Amino acid sequence: MYSSSSAPGHPPWQAQSSYSSNQNAYIQVPARQTFGAQPPLPPPPTYFPPQHYMASPPTNTPPPPLAPPAKKKMNWSPDVRDYVNRSFAQTTALPGITKEHIEAKLKEIITEATQSGRLDTINWKELPLPQQLIQEDRNRALLAPVPPPYYVPAVPASAPSTTTYQPHPDAPRKRKSTELSKEAGDATAPPPWRTSAQSSGPLADRVSFAPSDKRPKLDMTTSVSKSSASLESRRRRFEDSRAGSNSPRTQESSRGASPEAKVTGPIVGRCQKLEKNYFRLTSAPNPDDVRPLEVLRKTLELLKKKWRSDGNYVYICDQFKSLRQDLTVQHIKNEFTTSVYEYHARIALERGDLGEYNQCQTQLRELYKQNLGGHPVEFKAYRILYFIHTCNQTDMNDVLSDLTPADKKEPAIKHALEVRSALALGNYHKFFKLYLTVPDMGAYLMDMFVERERLAALACLCKAYKPDVRLRFVTEELGFESDEEACQFLLDHAPEDSSHLLEEREGDVRFLTGKVGSIFQNAKTRAFGLVDIKGQI
Amino acid sequence: MGSIFADFQQAQRVGNGRLLASCLAPIDTAQDPHRLISFAQLSNYQTISSDVRYYLIQAPNAVGLSKAEANAWVDIFVALWKTVKELVGLRQGNGTGDWVRAFDSYKELCNLLVRGYTNFGFQSWTVPCLYVAGKYIRIIAMKADSEVKPKDANGSAFTNGFSDDIMGDVNKHEKLEQAAWTINRMFTVCLSDRSELAESRKWGIYSTTNLLFKTYFRLNSISLTRNVIRALEAASADLPPLELFPKSHRCTFKYYRGVIDFLQENYTEAEQHLTEALNLCHKDSLKNREQILTYLIPAHVVNHHQLPSHALLSPHPTLSGLFTPLFNAVRAGSLVAFDEALTSAEPELVKRRVYLTLERTRDICLRNLFRKVFLAAGWEETKDSTTGEVTGKIRRTRIRIEEFEAAMRVGYKGATDVMMERDEVECFLANMVYKNLMKGYIARDRGIVVLSKAGAFPGTGV
Repeated sequence: MYSSSSAPGHPPWQAQSSYSSNQNAYIQVPARQTFGAQPPLPPPPTYFPPQHYMASPPTNTPPPPLAPPAKKKMNWSPDVRDYVNRSFAQTTALPGITKEHIEAKLKEIITEATQSGRLDTINWKELPLPQQLIQEDRNRALLAPVPPPYYVPAVPASAPSTTTYQPHPDAPRKRKSTELSKEAGDATAPPPWRTSAQSSGPLADRVSFAPSDKRPKLDMTTSVSKSSASLESRRRRFEDSRAGSNSPRTQESSRGASPEAKVTGPIVGRCQKLEKNYFRLTSAPNPDDVRPLEVLRKTLELLKKKWRSDGNYVYICDQFKSLRQDLTVQHIKNEFTTSVYEYHARIALERGDLGEYNQCQTQLRELYKQNLGGHPVEFKAYRILYFIHTCNQTDMNDVLSDLTPADKKEPAIKHALEVRSALALGNYHKFFKLYLTVPDMGAYLMDMFVERERLAALACLCKAYKPDVRLRFVTEELGFESDEEACQFLLDHAPEDSSHLLEEREGDVRFLTGKVGSIFQNAKTRAFGLVDIKGQI
Repeated sequence: MGSIFADFQQAQRVGNGRLLASCLAPIDTAQDPHRLISFAQLSNYQTISSDVRYYLIQAPNAVGLSKAEANAWVDIFVALWKTVKELVGLRQGNGTGDWVRAFDSYKELCNLLVRGYTNFGFQSWTVPCLYVAGKYIRIIAMKADSEVKPKDANGSAFTNGFSDDIMGDVNKHEKLEQAAWTINRMFTVCLSDRSELAESRKWGIYSTTNLLFKTYFRLNSISLTRNVIRALEAASADLPPLELFPKSHRCTFKYYRGVIDFLQENYTEAEQHLTEALNLCHKDSLKNREQILTYLIPAHVVNHHQLPSHALLSPHPTLSGLFTPLFNAVRAGSLVAFDEALTSAEPELVKRRVYLTLERTRDICLRNLFRKVFLAAGWEETKDSTTGEVTGKIRRTRIRIEEFEAAMRVGYKGATDVMMERDEVECFLANMVYKNLMKGYIARDRGIVVLSKAGAFPGTGV
């Protein structure tokens, strides 16, 4: 008996002929291997499962009798005719099972019976009707145990579920699908990257379990109603193309299948190496190069250790990127994912790599939304500081709209918000006090903009204070460590010919604010003009 | 037999773009309250193409269109019929209609329409069709997106092919993004027309621009509007002057230009655009006026330090409720009232994207407070420098920092969590001087603020 996820609408001879050609990236005219009737149009754009995924042994026997224009007229026994009639009778109809389903199942049953030569031996009167068989299949699938979440989606990709490769005309344009024009939608082969992935080894090698005993699991991975719906729509399209009709129906049914038509599914990695260099993917990943979760956990520990001992940022960043990539291609989305992104974000912060940090931050925001653990408060605070740095009012507004009243009470977030408001109001006094008390790694972010805020404060000081102030006052107000540091800062930002900024009088070093003119105003304008919005380095 | 076709023929005969455009609106009209259902029942999927062909081309009253143009219209109406079929199904609620399918069909219509202009010689008087199609594709897209969400919530996070990170752009607005793309094509079709102005599709430019702005705002990708504005500016020499466009187009365009400038903190330009928008806006369209004022008032306050009058706010209770407590506090110079008003209105103000701008008006609140200190400082007699005679009196301009410190403590009266330090008061004073809200300087060694004798607080009469 075929399981419901194999293609029930297609007689086996098609499955065989197109399997032989599916290693190729291009459409091939299937070689006729039988003398049965061929459908008037080329076979549908489906990827047929290889034989060993089918529960029943495939055969090379003549085509099933239900094929429409069969040359050899079969003589059906009255029992079989009765069975068919009963299948379609109103009284035996079951809810949720359409006529098309029944037809397909019936075809399957009779084909199999014919091929195995049991047509006359089967007790057709006792045999359950097709709709009953379908119902049973569905129930069985529903009752089956559900595998762990990150593992589940891996199955349909490694096993050739037909829907996964279904190119459909309405999908958003992708690089690889340009050759699949709408007209070609009815006769397409698997895309090239798919075949290249296969060529790395026989299909069976890509699944880490014996296909036969895992077979029932295939059914549960997609919800039953979904998979049967997609199968139905696929068959309808097939029938339409056979009928040669170009009616609107054709398009509509292909649209109906669109939710299932995922371009890539997750994979399960088999790579046991801890370290791996990062390469940007240009084709589907090879499971041999992808590390499974247990390995990745060890990788993270190793990277942490290496970062502490060597501190080689270029190496660590590269390793983290490949780690993130492996998580992504396997669709691993759990607390471990969050911790990887958090660790990478922290390292990037430490090295002032705002570009990488921003990537992690964006991902973390989504991960926190799904409550996958981690330290949302800490990183929300960083996010606020980050947008202070980029001076982007629109983004800051978005951040503020994301905060809940509870968030605002958290010390780290409260601190970041105070920093923001202090700067908005020009309150440099408060800003530099906050700079000295910033929690966690926020100081790395504040370091990014503290210089320009010092210039802004100096511009303000110089305009407001006449004729001079003590250097000590500048040191304290602008959060310098020492008078020397303050002095150095002033001199660094003043043009060389302006030596009259500082003066020693009565044992005090005085900053002659009245004579500064627009030096710091100009320096401030320059400093704010330099902000790179993306923060990339 | 479907008022749609009658309207189409009539519109084609006399060249009425609005009437023609109304045919493409997937709604019932006042004249024909059963327009959709009768159109939907006109035919079926097998025969719709030939039926439309008959009504558009072969019917006895049909106008003679060129073959290519007629075929393009047939395709458009077939797409419209598919949309309407879904919409009618949705209205009947028997599960035969689907917003996503409706969207796909209507997108097809829009694309065919654009192609009609580029390839099949649709004339420029038909440009209102673009307005209508753009309007409805946006609406249908938003409906379709709200439908898709529950169904596809699980899978959508992973649709992103080879991206390195796990959360690609989680696509909550898939259809609306497609709609934006389609509307962008309409925009290009209008902008790139090189025929003479009288016969140009350029007359559709601001309508499509407005739709595009609207869509980008909804998608929360306001940065994309910059490309549109840049394209408009590049073509500005070839565009008809804005004044010649319909008022509705101008008003909406000015509004969005103003808001975009507002969000980029270009308050001067923002105020200009928004003022124009307000002047163009119909006096009775309160909702639109309120939208404009939401941004115009903060921009004006920041630019001119003038608060809105009661008369301006009173027709808009929502806006008034948001702004009035804040502006009352500014008037009174009450820092604690200001902070409270700002905090309590924060969620609403953030939603409207004016929070960060209004926060700046705290400077004016503080200015008003310091001005009171100045007023309270009293008068000094002026003496003739040679004779020592009293010639008159001026306000005292040397004020101790402690006086301002006291004022700030008064300003924070009632607040529990504010600790005022003298250095912080100085910082605020310095800011006042720096921002030209107060004229004078701080003499730190003497602990006084020396204010200008002529106009210590510019623009306030003292």
